[in-house]
Parts: sequence; structure tokens; C-alpha cells
Amino acid sequence: MMGSFMRALTAWLDSRLHLKRLRHALLDQPIPGGSSWIYVFGGVTLFFFVLLLITGIFLTIYYVPSPDHAYESVQLIDTAVPLGWLLRSLHHWGASAIIVAIGLHMLQVFLYGAYKPPRELLWMVGVSLFIVVLMFAFTGYLLPWDQKAYWATRVGTGKLATVPLIGEPLLLLARGGEEMGAPTLSRFFSMHALIFPWLIVCLIGLHLFILKELGPAGPWDRVKAQRVSEPFYPRQVIKDGTAIAISLLIVAGLAVWLPYPLADEANPASTDFEPVPEWYFLFYYQLLKYMRGPILEPVGTMLVPALLYALLLTLPFIDRRKERRPSARPLVLAMGGGFLVVVFVLLGISLKQTWAVPTTDPSVASGKKVFAKYACASCHRIRGEGGEFCPDLSYVGTRHDRDWLVRHFNNPRAVVPDSPMPAFPFTKQELDNVTNYMLSLK
Amino acid sequence: MATTTRREFFGLLSGWIAAAIGAMVAVPAVGYLIGPALRRTLPTQAGAGTIADLPLNQPVQREVVIETRDGWLKGGSTKGVWVVKLSTGEIRVYNPHCTHLGCAFAWNRDQERFLCPCHGGVYDLDGRVLAGPPPRPLDTMEHTIDGDRLIVTYVDFKSGASKKIPI
Amino acid sequence: MLKRLAAWIDGRLKLGSISHLLLDEPIPGGASWVYVFGSITLFLFVLQLGTGILLTVYYAPTPDHAYDSIQFIEREVTFGWLIRGLHHWGASAMVVAIGLHMLQTYLYGAYKPPRELMWIAGVALFILVLMFAFTGYLLPWDQKAYWATQVGTSMLGTVPWIGNLLVRAARGGTDLGALTLSRFFSMHALIFPWLTVGLIGLHLFILRRVGPAGPWDDARAKAVSEPFYPRQVFIDAVAILIVFLIVVGMAVWLPFPLADKADPSSSDFVPVPEWYFLFYYELLKYFKGPIWEPVGTMLLPALFYALLFALPFIDRRKERRPARRPVALAAGAGFLLVVFLLLGVSLKQVWSVPTTNPGVVEGRKLYAKLQCSACHRIHGEGGSFGPDLSFVGAQRDRDWLIRHFKNPQAVVPGSTMPPFDLDQPSLDALTDYLLSLK
Repeated sequence: MMGSFMRALTAWLDSRLHLKRLRHALLDQPIPGGSSWIYVFGGVTLFFFVLLLITGIFLTIYYVPSPDHAYESVQLIDTAVPLGWLLRSLHHWGASAIIVAIGLHMLQVFLYGAYKPPRELLWMVGVSLFIVVLMFAFTGYLLPWDQKAYWATRVGTGKLATVPLIGEPLLLLARGGEEMGAPTLSRFFSMHALIFPWLIVCLIGLHLFILKELGPAGPWDRVKAQRVSEPFYPRQVIKDGTAIAISLLIVAGLAVWLPYPLADEANPASTDFEPVPEWYFLFYYQLLKYMRGPILEPVGTMLVPALLYALLLTLPFIDRRKERRPSARPLVLAMGGGFLVVVFVLLGISLKQTWAVPTTDPSVASGKKVFAKYACASCHRIRGEGGEFCPDLSYVGTRHDRDWLVRHFNNPRAVVPDSPMPAFPFTKQELDNVTNYMLSLK
Repeated sequence: MATTTRREFFGLLSGWIAAAIGAMVAVPAVGYLIGPALRRTLPTQAGAGTIADLPLNQPVQREVVIETRDGWLKGGSTKGVWVVKLSTGEIRVYNPHCTHLGCAFAWNRDQERFLCPCHGGVYDLDGRVLAGPPPRPLDTMEHTIDGDRLIVTYVDFKSGASKKIPI
Repeated sequence: MLKRLAAWIDGRLKLGSISHLLLDEPIPGGASWVYVFGSITLFLFVLQLGTGILLTVYYAPTPDHAYDSIQFIEREVTFGWLIRGLHHWGASAMVVAIGLHMLQTYLYGAYKPPRELMWIAGVALFILVLMFAFTGYLLPWDQKAYWATQVGTSMLGTVPWIGNLLVRAARGGTDLGALTLSRFFSMHALIFPWLTVGLIGLHLFILRRVGPAGPWDDARAKAVSEPFYPRQVFIDAVAILIVFLIVVGMAVWLPFPLADKADPSSSDFVPVPEWYFLFYYELLKYFKGPIWEPVGTMLLPALFYALLFALPFIDRRKERRPARRPVALAAGAGFLLVVFLLLGVSLKQVWSVPTTNPGVVEGRKLYAKLQCSACHRIHGEGGSFGPDLSFVGAQRDRDWLIRHFKNPQAVVPGSTMPPFDLDQPSLDALTDYLLSLK
């Protein structure tokens, strides 16, 4: 009954829309050399774009792009909105995943020489897509308006000012004013949530359209490519689907077990915050550390990226030989390999330096528990959490030394007359730990 | 042009119409995107009380309410400027931030000095640096007198620089 | 150079076949000015998308800044008033264009087999356009916006059983507030645009598959056939240009003013919806009481949309000539008649309310002449040096105002306002004006 109804409906639709022809066009694209696991990255990238689009749209239901509410609204999503934390976490890890996926996709195309004629345009559109993805990452980073976001963006946009001649106007244009503020957040939101999505959809459409017209490149060995040909459906579809399912599981796992915490709310007045960009910009951040001074700095901030993008875009016109076998392209592969080595070495150095800093003293962790046990937060505030009645302890480690703190814990009124703070019955161990914790707050 | 077919002519005309509409939207759009970005913030003028009751050679702190603007975010912020009437009759208005790192300094009646608590900057009545790390004298601000009212043009200056650089 | 580039691209992408696919679609009966409305609607959608994206560059969807950010756009952003005007009048134009497009389709019987699906996608697009209008209306967060949305969302509450739930879902809570604004923004700027693009794609895809319907007369349709390009393209382009110029003209000469900032505590604001919802607003006035109200707010619109969706299945005959479809045409004409009658009644009532006292008009001129706005602010216009006069009529009475004009310092010691030397009629007029500010 149900089956015959479905059949009738399909026939009715087909008589009007010729769906068979559409299905043929979509699914029967021949793949030279047959389906392969190496071709899955494009599909995975597309999938992550859709995931980011959907989670992103859901986030805007509660997010407010204004400096005085952005942070609270993200906190609301994390704490009060059902499954809000999961959505935000998926969006965050999805962003990392799409960078990995698009990177692998480009590597595969590079290795296989699939950018060579007649696929130059396909590659160029792909490079544009890569740049848009990086712009997405950069603009999205600011939106929570926490310390990390604020300072990383301040530094990032500040680099524009080092461009000769037009640096100042560029900076004004990016920030919407001289300083970071409401116009900056507004326009970053507009770019991240509206301008770039529409742009990227058009570019993806173009990328896929060119792919349909030219067909996939297939293996680098022409003999192998010409021997077999297999339609996109079903085996490549199944492989793509499997790869997508696996990467989704990884991202979902990361999202559930490593929710992405907010830093403190952005404080334009603080001077001691060392901004660290997301891991995919770390190698570049590290590179810039070596590029200091009035001449080298603009080279690092502008010339190197501009050259890199120019090189990427024009690659099909620089390397014009038809030859696609990697073994016959030693120069190009050496260059690509060299670039990767530089990137990963820089990333390694940067990670080592960044992660070397905040090693937490175990007694600090215990001190945090003591702080919770005696409900100190009911009166004191640390980084925006806790009561407002007593002094804010966010930076207490810079104001008092160990001796003062210990004396004060033992008998508050002996140190601060009229203090309403009671003398807590800490054990010696607890006293040490909570003092260490206080000293770590800087 | 003579060999243009009817087909090409209509196509060309349609193309021109599309280009005209595009330009009519694109030009305002570009202005729209860069306009406010290129506008500099203007210093705000604010009343700082009357001048008749200023004691001679004795700085007093006067509150001025300045309008701060961050795009559509408007706020008022109260600044406490130092006003002094010198024995020459000249009126000086000092920006309330120490020129070293921007701390708030205060007039000490007993020592007859401006003292900055943060790093020990000391200035005299004329704003000259007597001791401590400040790189330049206190920053004076322009003012006008309207009848009995003192109107101050409030500007902040870059701290730590040896010259007065408005920000 | 350009030719070589084109040839290079063509060699790779076979653009010839694409342009054939896009431009050579045959139109039965030939190109016609009657077919322009679909293209106009599509153009206006693109215009709305472009101007809308530009507006988000400065807009902040939060109750405490939305109004200020719109004022910022209007006053301080270069061409901000123009972009906002284009977006506002573009919305009205879009409702008109899609209405005419549907009327044309209805009159020509173009919804009949095999084009049922195209009509259904079209009706869904029409509903989306109305949802765009409804959600966009709230975004400036002025009195009009706030109260119209208050009423609009309350109507959901009249649905039996799940009414309360629906109201809460629409508002993001029990009251209209920050959560309402941010979800309306999300719908208006993100969810609906993507849905609309998807549906437009479907609508156009179906059009490509089944082809345009052409004239209702079968003989004429078969007699001639003309490709879409060049004449229909040209006709569409000219029509689009005319519509665009009209919208630009309205944006330039009829900028759309903001009302006062939304004030949830005010009790005397009569919300009036946009003109395209007015007929329905008028209709609801006749549906009062616990039984009739849900009929008007829910049952009628639901029935109406159901009827629209099901139209191709209700009116299944192949016959497309209007002369042979008296019932369908009479029903359509009857509907239009009711709509325009209600609209007329409503317009008459709405426009007859705000009669202004001549003294107030005179006073407003004096206010401008004496440059009171150099110091005083009224509804966001003017300096901030003196007290804000937006609601001075609610705070002071005539006697106080006249005494104050004559000698400000006698009434408010220390006031910096100078006494103005006015004769009695001027004084009265200015006082009338200030008293009207409530």
C-alpha cells in the first residue's frame, strides 16, 4: 500500500521533473581509475561547511554582536540554552576540522598534480575557497569577545597598519574605526555570518560546476586512469559517506569531551594578556616572532603571505607541464615538502613555547578545591565568577605576597582591621594550597 | 557596430542595464562600508564649573562629563580635571593622568606638589616634573571662558611619550 | 585579450552549452511584458539580500542598542539612509511584485498540470516573503515595531491548546525582549534567506524542467515560440530597471522615519502594521470574542494558505482560458475585492486619527527658528546640553512652561537657558508644541 503510493508519487514527480536525468547527472559522473579513499577530502570539507552553516545559524539565535552583550550571550548559550554548549563546541571543533580537511584536500590535489591543465580554474577557485575559510576562522575568533578573542584580533588587525602607504586606511576599514569596539564586532559578525557564507556558497557552486564540466582528474598514472572508469555512485559515494561519518564522530567526540572554554570577558584596559591565536595560525605567529624591526616586520606580516597566496593561485601557470607522476616532478614536490617542513617545525616550536608556560602547580589545583570547599566564591569574585561583596581576587597574586596572605588567613582582622572575613579553620596543608592558589592569580 | 545583430544589440542593452543597476548599488555600498571608519573622533567640550570661585595657586579638581562614542554605543564618562588659577591670573587645566603611565595624580596641600601614587612622579604647580619617571610635564588642555563658565576641550594624551601626542 | 580569455575558459568549461541551457529556453507564444513579474521578484530579492547584508554591518540586535544602531546608520553612516530606505521600500516592492506574479499565474491558469509543484513552491516563497516582512518589522525596535510584534505574536496565543507554547517559542520567553529580538534577527537575516534561496532554486529548477506556460490560448502558444534570450531578457531588464528606479526614488524622497524607541511601559501606543498587513488588521477588528477571535487569527489564514497550496488539485481541469473558468476567476476577484475594501476602510481610519493642532505646527516652526535644538533634544534630534524635551508635555503643564519661557531662572535657579523675548501668540504656539510632546 505504502510502497505503491510511493511508486505512484515518484512516477508523478518524474513525469514533471525528469528526475532520472538529474540523478544521472549527479551520480553517474565517471571517475577515471575507479573510486578511491584518497578522493574523500573534498566531500568531507563540503560536509563540514554544511555542519558549520547549520550550527552557526543556530548560534545566532542567541548570540548578540555587541561588545557589552557578546560575552554574556555566549555564556548564556554555554550554560542556559539546552545543548547550547554542544552546538558551540561542534562549531568550534568543526572549524578546526574544516581546516584539516581542506588542507588534506589541497595536499592530495598537489601530490596528484590535479591542478594541471585543464583544471587550472578548479584549483584557483579552490585556493580562493581556502582563503575564505581562513577569513572565516579569523573573523569568527573575535565573536565571543573574550580576552583571547579581543587581543588576538587587536594584534591581527594591528598588523595591517604595517602595510606601506595604505596601512592606516586598511586598519580603519578592518576595525571600522581607530580602536577595537562596537563597529569592529558588528562588521566581523556581518562578515562571518553573512558576507562570507554567501560568498563561499557561490564559490563552492563554481568549484563543483567546473568539476562537473571537467570531471575528476583520477590517478596520476595515465595508463591506470584509462584502463578503468567507475561512476561516482555507488562506491565513491559509500567511501565519501564513511569518511564523513568517521570525521563527524571525531568532531562530535571532541565537542563532547573537550568543550571549548571562554576566557575572561575582553578587557581593553588589561596590559598583561598574551594573545595566542588558534593552532592553525600558530606557525605564522611563530614566524612573525623572527620578523622584527621596521623592514622585516612588513615583510613578515604582508609580503610573505601575499607571495604565498600569489604562488598558490598561479601554481598551475608556473608548473605547466602535463606530467602528473610525482616521481617525475621532483622540484615541485621538494618545494611542497619544504613548505610543510617549515610549517610543522614552526608549529612545533610554537606549541612547545605556548604549552611550556602554564604548567599548573598541583598544589594550586588542590587550593582551588579548598576555595570551593569553604565557599569562598559566595563572597569573593575571580574572573567574573562569584559574589561581589568582598574584594575581587582575580589578580590578588600581584597585590600580596605569601607572608601577607598566610597572616591574613590566620587572622584577617589582625591584618585588615574591620574585615568581615572570618578566620577559617584550615589545616596546614589546606592553608599552603589555598595560598598557592591565591598567588597563582595574576 | 554596423554588423551588430539584433540579438547582440538586445544582449548589449540588457548588459548595460545590469551594469547601471550594479553601479548604482555598488557606489553607495562602498561609501557605506568605509564612511564611518574614516571619521576621526572629535574631542568633546564640556563645562567645568565657574571660574569666580577658583582659589589662587590652589589646584581644585573639577568634574567634567564627556561624551564617549564607540559607533552606536554612546556613553558619558566623568573625568576629574585639575584646574588651577595662577598668580598671573592665567587659568590652567591639566589632564588628570600622569604622563608616565596614566595613573591618576593628586594635589598634596602640605607639600604643594602634584604627587602620583603609582611610581612616585612629582610635579609642581606649573606642571613641571620635579622627580620620578614622568617623561614630560603635565598635559594642559585647551579651554575657553564663557561668561563665568569654564569650558574644557577634553583630550587624552599618549602616556610614556616625551611629547604630547593626542589620542 | 578578452576574447582569448573567453576562448580559454570556454575550451575548458564548454560555456556554450551552459549559455544555451540558460538563455535559449523556448517561450511558447513569444516574449511578453506580462512575464516580467517573476524576474522582478527575483531581482528585488537579490537587492534585499545585498542591502540587508550591508545593514548588518552596523546593526546590533539587542533591545538596548538596536534603535541607536539604526539611528547611527541613518545619521552617521555614509549613504546609510539610502541603504535603509532601499531595504524598506524594496520590501514593499517585493510584496507587490510577488502579488502581481501570483495574479498573473492565477489569471493565466499557469498553476495547472504539469506545473502544480512550481505553484506550490511559489506559494511557499510567498509565505516566506510575508514572514520576512513580519520579522524584519521588529528589528528597529521602535514603538511601531515593538507593539505591532507584541500584537502579532499574541495572535499565536489564540490557537487552542498549544497557543501559549507557540507564543513562548516565537518570543523566546513570556515577554518580548532581548531573546525575541535576537531570534527574530536570526530568522530574518539567516534562516529565511537560506530557505528562500533553496526554494528559489527549486522553483527555477522546476521551471526549467516543465518550461514556462505561455499564453492561455493553446493555438497561439503553438503558433510561435521564441527563446528567452534576447527579447525576454531585454524586456525583463527594462522592467527591472523601472522598478529599481522607483524604489530608489522612494528611498530618496520618502525616507522611512523611525518612531520613538520602544517603550514597553507605554500604554497609549496604537500599533499599525505595514500596509500589506492592513487589510488583515482591519478584518480582525470584526472578529471579537472568545469564539470568533481564533477564527480570525488562526482558522482563516490557515484555510487561506491551505486553499492556495491545494489550488492546482482543486481546479484540475486542463482548461486555461479565463473565459472558461468563471468560478475560479470569480473567487479570485471576490478575494481581491474584499482585500481592497478592507484596506480602504483601514487606511481611512488610520489616516484620520492624527489631526494636528495648528498651534502645534506654528510652535514647531518657532522651535526651529529659535534654534532650540542646538541645546535640546526631541526624540533623538538635537543637542544634549539642555534637558531632553521628548516627553516634556507629560512632565510640565502650560502655566509652568509659560512662566519658564518668560524667565527661566525664576523657575529653575541656575538654569543656563536664556529668556526669549516672544509675543503672546508665539509663546502660546511654542507652549502648544511642547505640550504635544508626550
